[in-house]
Order: sequence, then structure tokens, then C-alpha cells
Amino acid sequence: MLQLVVAGLTVGSGYALVALGIHIILRATRVVNFAQGEFVVLGGLFAYSVVAQLHASVWIGLVVATVAGFGLGLAYERFVLRAAARAGELSVTIVTVGTVYVLLYGHALVWGSLPEPLPYFSGVEGDASWHVFGVQIAAQQLWVLGLLALALAVLGFFFERTTYGKAIRAAANNPAGAQLVGIDVDRARSISVAIAIALAAFGGAIIGPITLVGGAAGIGIAIKGFVGGIVGGLDSPVGCTLGGLLVGVVEKLLEGRFGYGVSDPVVYGLLIAMLLVRPQGLLGTLRATRD
Amino acid sequence: MADRMRADARILPIFAAIVVIFGIVARGNANLMQAATFAAIDAVAAIGLSVLLGNVAQISLGQAGFFGIGAYTFGYLETAVTWPAGVALWLQFVLSTLAGTALAAVFGVLLGFIALRFRGHYLAMATLAFGLIVVDIAKVTPALGGAAGITNVPFPQFGSLTISGIAAYWYAWAMVAVAATLSFNLLRGRAGRAFEALRNDELAAEAIGVPTRRLKIAAFAYAGALAGFAGTFYGAFLGVVDPTAVNVGFSIDLLLMVVVGGAGGVAGAILGATIVGITNVYGHELENWRPVIYGVLVIVIAIAFPRGLIGLFVRPRRRDELTLAAAASSATAPPEPAQPVAASAREASGGDRSWLRIDAVDKRFGGLVAVDGVSFTLQNGTLTSLIGPNGAGKTTLFNTICGVSRPTHGRIEIAGRDVTGWQPHRIAALGVGRSFQNARLFGDMTVLENVLAGVYRTENATFASDLLALPRSRRSGRAALERASAALEALDLERIARVRARDLAFGDRRRVELARALAASPGLLLVDEPAAGLNASERARLRDDLQRLRAGGTTLLLVEHDMHLVMAISDRVMVLEFGKLIADGPAATVRDDPRVVAAYLGTA
Repeated sequence: MLQLVVAGLTVGSGYALVALGIHIILRATRVVNFAQGEFVVLGGLFAYSVVAQLHASVWIGLVVATVAGFGLGLAYERFVLRAAARAGELSVTIVTVGTVYVLLYGHALVWGSLPEPLPYFSGVEGDASWHVFGVQIAAQQLWVLGLLALALAVLGFFFERTTYGKAIRAAANNPAGAQLVGIDVDRARSISVAIAIALAAFGGAIIGPITLVGGAAGIGIAIKGFVGGIVGGLDSPVGCTLGGLLVGVVEKLLEGRFGYGVSDPVVYGLLIAMLLVRPQGLLGTLRATRD
Repeated sequence: MADRMRADARILPIFAAIVVIFGIVARGNANLMQAATFAAIDAVAAIGLSVLLGNVAQISLGQAGFFGIGAYTFGYLETAVTWPAGVALWLQFVLSTLAGTALAAVFGVLLGFIALRFRGHYLAMATLAFGLIVVDIAKVTPALGGAAGITNVPFPQFGSLTISGIAAYWYAWAMVAVAATLSFNLLRGRAGRAFEALRNDELAAEAIGVPTRRLKIAAFAYAGALAGFAGTFYGAFLGVVDPTAVNVGFSIDLLLMVVVGGAGGVAGAILGATIVGITNVYGHELENWRPVIYGVLVIVIAIAFPRGLIGLFVRPRRRDELTLAAAASSATAPPEPAQPVAASAREASGGDRSWLRIDAVDKRFGGLVAVDGVSFTLQNGTLTSLIGPNGAGKTTLFNTICGVSRPTHGRIEIAGRDVTGWQPHRIAALGVGRSFQNARLFGDMTVLENVLAGVYRTENATFASDLLALPRSRRSGRAALERASAALEALDLERIARVRARDLAFGDRRRVELARALAASPGLLLVDEPAAGLNASERARLRDDLQRLRAGGTTLLLVEHDMHLVMAISDRVMVLEFGKLIADGPAATVRDDPRVVAAYLGTA
């Protein structure tokens, strides 16, 4: 039981990062990015290439993946999202779905369709682990939770304490008003999307050693991240984080009890139930889900 | 959307000819026939999604789920169920097909209910989750064969004829013809006009009596039914129904077909499905690249050609030749709108019941009291003006009367019925018309189409009669047209009948909005600041129009700032300040009331 909770918190960290990314993009551009999960997969693959081809440390892989994610995010916002926004809200939804196809099958062309292993951050073959109160905790699980906390701290500092972060929030809140006080709204959107995609890539690299990287996992990750966001409240960063972790734990508990096939439909059903009962999420106040 | 209908009317016969010729010429090539059959199956499902996405502006990423429900239902009934001895094989096939289609429609209604609560991306996510759940359930249900699926589904048998090979080609394209005809009929009828209205502006659609929630559910059910229908033959044609065939990828493929071909109407969906079908045959060399190319194609088309490839064939024209408009000019002398209005008003209000009675209505937003204990009763056939300084609560009161927002306390009675808390379209259906402060027209539609939409609540066509193009729908359409032309004529708008609403000058917009409200001969008309933004001659005209309406027997409630207009035409003036009625009476009395003067000018 506790073992499953620990495992759930680990995969849930990935969902939390996806939910946060969706939250940031949603706030900045009013778009739910269906491709968020594919960027997670891509981040893991970047890290894998750095390790496998350049024989560099997995830490360098993590940095490269994050920076590459940032760059990809800038391009994605500029050439896909912004262009589609002119054609209407439905068009934006459609292009993010199209992006899923491009990335999902595109990375299979480059890296092959089978998932690849990523080395553990501890540098120990097979990973280090400890027994605590009868629960086996792997070093990577601690790394994942620690790095998630670090990412949250950095983001929180950026958005709450720096002038630039505040400007981005202002631009997201009231674009017209922000423009009037001299904030470059387009630029703020670009940066927001880039941060969100960097976050996804970062997430892909840190959970990679546990989940393997590549393959067709992206769409599942995107939806479960979204479920996490909905459960916690898509307009609340804290809600997104907790929601993502919760979805991970629920998934692992169900898997442990009933086997693989059952957890996914229950988690997806949770999405629909949550949308019906409390669309703003446990911690959210969003009213934009309705007309 | 009229141009989309025109595209369908023009292109579909060409498609039909191509299908027939291809079926004869290519009958020897089994590969081609098979690919064309799959294209037809996809096209049936794509047509449903095209209507949903293009005509109703609701997205679904779960269509494969409905397809799967149809396929699995069919496969299960054809393999696992022992039919009574007397039921012929062909009848089994027909019943299984109907069952698969119907079950998919039922799930469409369920998804529609869920969909009502969201827009855009939330809706897309919810439908995607629905599709995933269907696949996951199929995978773990032993009765449905688990991961292996249902195997050995028999080919349909009609007597000695087995529906496979070439016969399957003809059957599948006959399914397309059925789906295309039904959809074309639907979009041309009352339901299609209502879809178009709700796609343009939901609030305004409700205000003319369109039940937007029910129609959205109907659209989901319809799209689900067509996907399920397509699914039934997929199982019969392939002989196998397994989870891979109904996975999320297929939902996205369908979306892609519709976006590439052009969402809305029928022809684009068929074109999209055919293009994908062709690349499935000739695209083998690009095997792994194909989905990437599809993805890029979707992105490029959604950005650069939002109308899809079919949009390249049919260019929208500024002055649209509506088939209906042509009929309008030949229609017999339109009835004078004034008379029926008076008659219907008295009828609906039950003779002496007041059209509008408001009893102690409060509307609070948190701590703010926007409307505070307002009561009044309108005398039928009179024009009452509601005035007051900005922020006095006039529009809020209006919105509670129309059902846009629910009063916090109090009771609203229209034509003798307690309508407190009713949805706007139900209130409209009682014979209540309204105009909006900022003239909410359906921008993509022509003036005639706007006014035609306004007739909605008086029409008697139903979803089913539209689908089958029954005489009832045709009669209803003709009657609607006559009413619409009468309303256009009454407001002297025939000249601009074919101009698109978004291209109109502001003054004309107001008049078109008035015509739209009048087309259904309302007994009670609520007019929100009609004179705002009009020049002097337009105001004079407005004054004439309003007076003519009152003379025709319509009860009018007017919110207005133009004192000149108000004092000139009102039988009664009510003054609202901080949500309270501070004066009520004949124009001259109210004008001299010291409290009113103070409210407007301030006290010394």
C-alpha cells in the first residue's frame, strides 16, 4: 500500500509538471495544449540522446532537454499557436491535436517507436534504494520529488517575486490593460509557452529513468496531467501540483489492486465526473468552463 | 453557411457520378475497391463530425468511441446472440445495424449532456476521455473478446447475395448517400437554421426561442449515430472488431479528414475521407511519414485554409444567392404583420391577462443590489419606457425578465404564467421578443437568414421531419419565408436582404434586429436602448417603427436614454434609480417629478 503511494507520487510528479504546464499555457493564451504530453516524451528523448550519443552525464541531458524545450516552446507559440489563434478558438484546439500527431510519429521516426532507458540520476547501476518503515524507496524517486519541488520553487519565485514574472501574469490576466502599461503581450505569451514546454521536457527527463523514454506514452501523460489539473483546479498552481500527484497515486493504487487494464478508464472517468461535479477543481475558482 | 449548402448541392451530384463510374471501372482491382470501401465507411462517420464541428461548433475527439460502440454492438449481435429461428439472416443484419446505430446515438445524448457544461478545450478533453474509456472497456471485457476482439463476424447476407467485395463497395457508398442526404436535409431545414444561429451567438439564439442546449445534445446524438452506423459495417466488412480499430488515433483521423476537407455540411467530409483513403493505398512508401504529414497538413490547413479544401472550390459571395430568397420574390403577397400580431397577442395572453407582471423582483450580485423590490404590471398594447441613470439596473431587470439571469427573489409572470427561473428560449416561445443593447445579430448570416432564424419559434418542423425532408418541413420552411419577407418589408429592409450581417452599418443592424424579433410576431417586445448610436433620421424612423408596432397591438417595454424619444412615444414611464422604482406614470407627470429631476441632475 505505502509502496504503491510512493510509486504513485513519482509518476504523479510527471502529471503535476504537465498540469502546471497546461495551467501556464492556459492562463497566458486561453489554450489547452493537447501536445503537452508529447513534449514530455520529447524531453526524455533529448536527455537520452545526450547520454547515449554524446556519452555525457544524465545531468547534462536534463539541462539540454530543458533548454531545448524552452526553444521549442518559443517556436511552437510563434509559428503554431499564434498563427492559429487568428483563425479562431476551435482552430487552436485543432492545431494542438495536429501537433500531437507530428510529435508522436515524428519522434518515432528519429528515435524509433520503442521506449529507451535513461540512466539513474544516482549514477548507481540499478539505482540505490533504502528501506524505510518497510517501504522500499529508490534514489530516483527522491530525485523526482526533489526536482519537482525545485522546479516549483523556481517558478514560484519567478512569477511571484520578479518584475518580469509579474508582467507575464499581468499580460495573462488582462492583455489590453497590460498593453496600456507597456507590457509586450505577445512576448509574454511566448515566454509563458516556452516555460511550460521547458517544464514538460524537464519532467520527461526526470521521470525517464523510471518510466523509460519515448514510445506512445505522451497522449496518456497529457490526459492524466489534465485530469490532475481538473481535479486540483486548473487556475491554481498548487491545485495542479497536488492534483497531478493525486492522480498518480490513484492510478498506482488501482493498478496494484486490479491490474493494468482498470486504472486508465477509472482515471478518465474521474475526469468526466470531476468536470460534471466540480469543474473548477478542488482548489480552483475558474468559471470559464461554462458559457 | 449558405455557400456551404450551395457547395453541397453542386458538388454532391458530381461525387455520386464519380462513385458510380469508379465502381464500374475499377471493379476488377480488389485493392482499390477495398480502399474505396474503407473511405466510404470513414466518410459516414466524418459527415457526422462535420455537422457537429462545422455547423454547431462543438468539437469531439471521441468519435472513434461511437464507431466502436456501433461496431461492437453489431459484432456481438451477429456472433454471440442466438436469434430466434424465424428471423432471416438479412433481417438479423438490418436489426443489428439499427441496434448499433441506436446505441451510439444514446451514448451521443449522454456525451451531449456532459458537453453542455464545457466549451472548446474542456469539451475536447472530455470527449477524448470518453473515447479512451470505450477502448479501455472493450479491452478488458471478456464478452467483447478482450484485446483480440470479436472475430468471425459474418458477411451480411441478402438471400443469395453476400455483401462483400464489390457488393460491399456499393453498400458502403449507399450508406454515404443516406448519411449525406439526411444531413443535407437537416441543415437545410429549421434545425439547420437554428444550428447556424447558435453557432453565431448562443445568447441571441436563445432570445429568439432556439433551445440551444437541446439542439447541442441532438447534434452530439446525430454525430454519434452516424459514427455508430459506420462502425456497424466496419465489423461486417472486415469480419473482425478489435480495440485497435477504435482507438484514439481513429478519432483524430476523423477530425483530420473533416478539417482537411472542410468542416460544415457534407461534401468536405466526403472529400477528406476520400483523400485519406487514397493516401492509404498509394502512401505505402511513406508508411512512417504518413501520420507526420497528416499532422502537418492539419496544422497548415487549420491556420491557412480554415474552410478546408472544399472551400477552395466554392468562394463565398458577398451577396449570397439564397435559394430561399429566390422563392421569396415569388411568394404570394405577404400578410400584413400588424394584424396577426394583435391576434396572437390577445390569444396568448388569454384576453385580459397582462403580458408582463413583475412582483417584488430582487437581483443581487454578491453584496450589490442591482434590482431592489421592483413590481409593475404592463397594460397590454401599450408602450412603457424604463429610464434611469447609468447603472440603475435597467438592463439587469431586462435580463431577469428574459431569463438570461434568475432573480434572487420575486416572481415574473408572462401572459399569466409564472416564468421565474425559466430558460430564455422557453420565455421567447411564449411570444416574447427582445433586442440587445449592442444589436446581437448572427454575423455570418445574411439579413434574410437572420430574420428567418427569428421565425424559429413559430415553425412546426421537427428534427425528424427535417431529416427526412417531410412535407411538414417544406411547408414550415415556406411559411417561415413568408413571415420573414413580411418582416423585412415592414421595416423596409428588402433592399439589403442578402447582405451579410457583419457588413451592415450600425443603424441597419438595429433595424435588422428589430425585424428578427418581429418576424415571430411577438406579443411582448423588450427593446434595450434602440436609439443609442443612431443619427437623427434613423431615430425618427425608429420612432415610427415603434409606434406602428404598438398600433399593431404589441406590448412594448423600452429601455432608453433618449428623453426626447421616450417622452414623445411612451404611454407610461417608469424611473429606476439604484435598483428601485422612484417614479411611475404618464410621461408628462414623470418628467416634472422632483425625485426624477434630482436623480438625473442631482440636488442643489
